[in-house]
Amino acid sequence: MFDKLLFFSSFLLTISGAAMVLGSKDLVRACIALLACLFGVAGLYATLNADFLAATQLVVYAGGVVILMLFAIMLTGGSNNAVNRFGINKVPSMGDGKTLAFGILSGAVATLTIFKITKNVFIDYNLQEIPGYSSTVEQIGQLLVTNHVLAFEISSILLLGALIGAAVIARPRKS
Amino acid sequence: MNPTFVTYLEQFLGYPATNLMAAVFFLVAVSILVGVMATIGGLGTYAERKISADIQARIGPNRVGPFGLLQMLADGVKMILKEDIIPSKADKLIFILAPMMAMFGVFATLAVLPFSSGLTLTDLNIGVFYVLGVGSFVGVAIFLGGYASNSKWSMLGGMRGASQIISYEIPVTLSILVAVTMAGGLSFSTLVEAQTGLPHGWYLFHNPFSFIAFFVLFIGALAETNRAPFDLPEAESELVSGYHTEYTGMRFGFFALAEYVEVFVVCGIAAALFLGGYKVPFDLGNGEVLSNALMNIPFLKMVVPMTNGTPIFKLLGSGLGQLLQLGSFFTKTLALYYVVIWIRWTLPRLRVDTLMTLCWKYLTPIALFNLLGAATWMVVFHGKSIYQIIFESGAAQAVGGH
Repeated sequence: MFDKLLFFSSFLLTISGAAMVLGSKDLVRACIALLACLFGVAGLYATLNADFLAATQLVVYAGGVVILMLFAIMLTGGSNNAVNRFGINKVPSMGDGKTLAFGILSGAVATLTIFKITKNVFIDYNLQEIPGYSSTVEQIGQLLVTNHVLAFEISSILLLGALIGAAVIARPRKS
Repeated sequence: MNPTFVTYLEQFLGYPATNLMAAVFFLVAVSILVGVMATIGGLGTYAERKISADIQARIGPNRVGPFGLLQMLADGVKMILKEDIIPSKADKLIFILAPMMAMFGVFATLAVLPFSSGLTLTDLNIGVFYVLGVGSFVGVAIFLGGYASNSKWSMLGGMRGASQIISYEIPVTLSILVAVTMAGGLSFSTLVEAQTGLPHGWYLFHNPFSFIAFFVLFIGALAETNRAPFDLPEAESELVSGYHTEYTGMRFGFFALAEYVEVFVVCGIAAALFLGGYKVPFDLGNGEVLSNALMNIPFLKMVVPMTNGTPIFKLLGSGLGQLLQLGSFFTKTLALYYVVIWIRWTLPRLRVDTLMTLCWKYLTPIALFNLLGAATWMVVFHGKSIYQIIFESGAAQAVGGH
């Protein structure tokens, strides 16, 4: 019962957050909605027993990415004028409420049609029981330094490159 | 499932709790904990005033209630009665959301804070990591509070707050990792149980690297909770009141309460990671010694009916043990809390550039070096603490003779 409650609240948070990102005209509000959406995704991870992933989602996105996005919006000034010089509402390139509604409707119709056509593929597929709860931290740690050590090292080189690049860009120039 | 407060209660009472009972237990425990922590936050403001008064040779609040103890109630009533002003050019939704987010971020960390071995709401496998995750909401909240107020002072305070918090998160996380590598787990029960009640088994004195790591963690924690000398986001002398300049009444109260509770949480985490947490010397905490001792008192044997044998003593012993553990945890945490306030009224505020220099040029390299050093220590000395090594070599000398 509790799992279902958690799942549906995370699901609602994710979907409504995503919808608000699309519908909002204000960039900062869109950022907040994105935060809600990412928090919902962390909740979905938690319902799937991926505890480490859920916490990583929070640390990386809530702590890092959203704040950086907000900083970027602040430093570039954002755009507050949703009305063009003729006094007509601008439609943002990412869409607004109306385009969102159209998108969802047409998406739903297309998905249902595809499901109807490919029904035979899914008909034998039965959902398996979710395996019991077990901690994922040890497994992730072991896999990162055994099977996936190459990917781990390459991503660390990428991050090091980003760090050095940032330092080079931010360095005061000699005149 | 994770061991929780309810699983402890099951052991304590001796029968399994149903789902409904567990939910009710949780609700009661959570509401009690939130109430207690809010009171501690309120008492924090009182302690701050009294200690600052002592340091500056003043008297401090002494009119409301005995020793001025009810000052926080007077403050609370004042804040609730105050007119709730939202600036007309403010972004209303975000303005209202920001204080709530700060409160959420702080109070969500209480779910894993280990008050005692029994009173931990839930002992997540990723305890410390979870704290870092939900704690980052406070940074977002401070930034948004500054942005939504639509005031230059608030904006500057919010930007300073956010940049300071994400910068200092790095040395703090690296220092926490030192304790994690030594204990081999992220959950608070693993981290605390790996230490002992007496100081020689604390991670603070485990090896030189963990000793440094504790201080890096403490300095970083001061900066993350925006306490002086790092209180740049609300620097009164330049920014009026920083990110909460435009907030009045209970919305301001939320920010203030979140700050004081966060200081408590951070001190509690530092105590749990490096100062032995809730561990009580001589294993008095788990209650077995106490219940055995109680059973051996002849007077009690006469008075207490022995129909069911030992259970009542066991119950009493483990209850007393839990109380001792709570006492141990609160003593260490409040001692750190005192140091935080003491530092605030002793040191002057840093400049923005010195703040960033301290973080990036000093604390981060030190923390990185520490982490490497601690990991090397764990490999080279097989996880033994410096005391164990000294005692072993001493014993070898004594046996070998000259």
